[in-house]
Amino acid sequence: MLKSLYVDGHTFLHRASAGAKMAALALCGIALYFTHSTIILASATVLAGTIYLRVGLDLREAYARLKPVLFTIGILALVNWWVLGFGIAAMQLLRIIAIVLLAAAITATTRIAEFMALIEWLLGPLDRRGLVRASDISLALGLVLRFVPDIFAHYEGLKDAHVARGIPFRPARAIGPMIILVLKDADSIAEAIDARGIRGL
Amino acid sequence: MDIRFSDCSVKFKSHVALHPFSLDISERRVGIIGLNGSGKTTFAKLINGLVKPSTGHVTVNGHDTVAEAKAVLTLAGFIFQNPQQQLIMPIVSEDIAFGLKAHGFSPAEVASRTEAALARLGISALGPRRVHELSGGEVQLAAIASVVATGPEILIFDEPVNQLDLRNRARVLAAIESLPESAIVISHDLPLIEGFDRVLVFHEGRIAFDGAPGPAIAHYREIAAC
Repeated sequence: MLKSLYVDGHTFLHRASAGAKMAALALCGIALYFTHSTIILASATVLAGTIYLRVGLDLREAYARLKPVLFTIGILALVNWWVLGFGIAAMQLLRIIAIVLLAAAITATTRIAEFMALIEWLLGPLDRRGLVRASDISLALGLVLRFVPDIFAHYEGLKDAHVARGIPFRPARAIGPMIILVLKDADSIAEAIDARGIRGL
Repeated sequence: MDIRFSDCSVKFKSHVALHPFSLDISERRVGIIGLNGSGKTTFAKLINGLVKPSTGHVTVNGHDTVAEAKAVLTLAGFIFQNPQQQLIMPIVSEDIAFGLKAHGFSPAEVASRTEAALARLGISALGPRRVHELSGGEVQLAAIASVVATGPEILIFDEPVNQLDLRNRARVLAAIESLPESAIVISHDLPLIEGFDRVLVFHEGRIAFDGAPGPAIAHYREIAAC
């Protein structure tokens, strides 16, 4: 079961600061956008895949983490193939997969606290002008990352409940209960945030 | 601890969760018992302002829970029934530090208070651990540490030993007993509140009994038997 998006380790990515990694990811995204060579894009994808697989995840978990997004990317690629043709669809597919792999590698090597500190720092100028509350936005991001494993746990729990009752499990059947469970979680977490005085003190 | 409820009631739409009551609490250890849905948690949430009274008002050490909500939040800490969802950061020490930072402590104070809170509860070894990897008792202790770190004078526990095995129950109980802060504890675990100074028994949104633990538990048993 997925315990946390962060993976313990001592790789170069673990040591790099969150800001440096996010800046590098942004630059890679821009560079890939302006690259129109399938060979270069394919090489970049292989390189991104290698980086992702070296952060300390085993193959199975590395795939499990990306499965939902890869499924969505696959559908997008099929639509692009049909509308724009094979060549462009292949380039777009490689671009997106490369970026997703790099983003996943950064997610796995950056603690939530570092992400939150970075967001607060980036939004600091807007916060000082009273346009946003940087701490609220960083808290929202932190909560999303923190509770992703809980959502997976709910999914696994629903699956086990189906199996225990001898009911064939279909992911679509889990959508309703999942939404209810997540909303209930959101209520409890919001209450805990209020109780701890995390916001508004 | 000085908590005062004056003509207080709580209504959720048409449902009356707590009928009007007035009460003063100054004892160091107060237990709250009652059947499910009797109003225990609503009562406890009134104390730190998580629930606002529909009528009347509540004060904690002289601060009104609605008008001075911020002051009350720093005075009264709440430990939830499901502490897993109370811990926001994935690492125990990060979570304690996060709460302290939100309360405006300096980085040096955050570090020292985090260490001190873990040490007070005898869980220094859990500091670098992930919340998802802890046992039920350890999560409960981590949640208590995250609350005591900010220095509240009153701690409110909502069923702190619910679903814990005997070993973890003993650990959490020992921790609660050793805390110098005043404590209000909601529990279905009757032996837990036997040594308390005062026990309130709730029934159908009313305080059905208010007194010493022995008679309170006897009264609760009568209610439960009906």
